[in-house]
Amino acid sequence: MAYIAVNTSGNFVALKINADGVDYDSNVSAAFVAGNANVMTVPALQEVTLNASPGTFRWQQLDTGSEKIVTTPATNSVAVTLVMDDTTFFGNVGSTPALVDIVNNKTKCYFRLGWQGLSSGDRYIQGAGYLTALAPTVSPGSPVWTTPITIEVDGEFTRGNVA
Amino acid sequence: MAIRDTLLANLTTSLSSTNVSVSSELPFTAAGVPLYEKNMKKFYLDVDNTDTREMFLTLDDNDVFEREITLTGYLTVDAKNQPSDIDTAVNAVINSRLSVADCFTRECAVTDEILDDRINYTFEFRFLTI
Repeated sequence: MAYIAVNTSGNFVALKINADGVDYDSNVSAAFVAGNANVMTVPALQEVTLNASPGTFRWQQLDTGSEKIVTTPATNSVAVTLVMDDTTFFGNVGSTPALVDIVNNKTKCYFRLGWQGLSSGDRYIQGAGYLTALAPTVSPGSPVWTTPITIEVDGEFTRGNVA
Repeated sequence: MAIRDTLLANLTTSLSSTNVSVSSELPFTAAGVPLYEKNMKKFYLDVDNTDTREMFLTLDDNDVFEREITLTGYLTVDAKNQPSDIDTAVNAVINSRLSVADCFTRECAVTDEILDDRINYTFEFRFLTI
């Protein structure tokens, strides 16, 4: 048994996004090669939820006592909430536009989520998708902008270890 | 600049036309009697008390902290012969909270208590900033 703890600096959850306009569908890992200046690290994550939900179809027939089932395509997404950072929210990182522009322009992006950091050997899950559900909020009793963001995943997650 | 300095500077001006004056001394106790009871119609203000706590926890040490600064002010007047403009003076003290900049919460709660022949006003200032 080994817990996946994220409470030490080397093990912080890391979310990287590349939306530089290049098509990495055939090899998402190519979007995150070391030294790529178009990779944005999304800072100040508060909560991360990864959803991988294969659909199912159930039916009943008269010759069995229980329902039958087959799977249908999965709905995959990554939902995060974060404290908004002026640099990444309104500024480009290389050819990757600002977060607000990625959402506004419906730009396809590639993401990599490090479960316990993204140093060499660390596990990650990655894929392609679109940023949605942006809803920045602020109030007098909570006077710092925060927002949820959901990455609606196009296709499947893939997993691996950082080279 | 401490918030105490800002409040005292504001009150020195706003109370100048009233029967209440402002002391820059701390409200310490001399011979068992607090200064504000000894020197009636004089407003005393304690030092800033600062408390820092987490407002937003994040997963990568980019936590957002909130700072709370509280101060207590004291004013004693003769209960039998109150200054005619005591309401004006009390309101001026309450409104002095608005002279403090860069805080998203600026509060002042006032309570009064009659002790013997005196009325003690206690002002609890509370400021919140990021």
